[in-house]
Amino acid sequence: MAAFSCNLKVFRQRKGLTQEQLADLVGVRRETIMRLEKAQYNPSLKLAVDISRAVEAPIEEIFLFP
Amino acid sequence: MKHPKKRWLVPLLSVAVCAAVSLLAAWSDLTYNGGRLVYPMESYSFQRSDIPMLLALALDAFCALALLTFVLRQSILRRRREAETNRTRQLNPKLGFLGLFGFCGFLGFLPVSALSSYTPFVFFVFFGFFGFFFEGKMSNTLKDERFQENVRRARLDAYGAGIQIIFLLVVANGLIDFPPELRASVLLVVLSLTMALVLFLQEYLLYRYDRQEVGDDGCV
Repeated sequence: MAAFSCNLKVFRQRKGLTQEQLADLVGVRRETIMRLEKAQYNPSLKLAVDISRAVEAPIEEIFLFP
Repeated sequence: MKHPKKRWLVPLLSVAVCAAVSLLAAWSDLTYNGGRLVYPMESYSFQRSDIPMLLALALDAFCALALLTFVLRQSILRRRREAETNRTRQLNPKLGFLGLFGFCGFLGFLPVSALSSYTPFVFFVFFGFFGFFFEGKMSNTLKDERFQENVRRARLDAYGAGIQIIFLLVVANGLIDFPPELRASVLLVVLSLTMALVLFLQEYLLYRYDRQEVGDDGCV
């Protein structure tokens, strides 16, 4: 898996969403959001786009690849 | 929608009724027909006194067919429900105890003359049902993309392990000169255990991949 860092937690909290709410919005489990925030899971392009729309932030600022 | 336990009540009752009718017919045959349909026979010619046993056999065949249809229908409905909800099936982890039936496979090690068959070895496959412990723990889980990815990963690893074992078995089979009886039992034992291992690993690895690496600071 490609190493990356993830700023999802910052953007999610800025939007006032809980992990559960964000998970419901993008159609995944809370555990998946949890792993995304810890950069333990590399999401598909679709999920990344859905998350980016849900938290209203650009993908490249949420997921930082070296 | 009927309660899942009630749904199985009628088929189970039918099986019980069929078993009772068969026992009754066997008793009737032994008592009034000299047991000619119970004991092995060379050739068959119809007699009126055979009717109870023949009716019982017809009922058994009908029951088996109805049961098969029911199981298939339930399986199709379950798949449809799963597809609609996009969640895994609901399963009680206690079903994992079905894996204990695997120990029946050791009956195959009894002298062949006692059972006149190697088939008990096939029971080793039941060891794979221990995987229900883990499938039960993952009951009603949303099948999101990470879950599906883990399913694929777990299946691939489980099948890989199975193929490696079968490959070694085939190589060993070619290299070592076993007597045919021993060869048959070794093949059956190893293949049954491999199947059980693959069944178990699919569920165990899925559970492990899905739950591993969660740190302490995971929550909201």
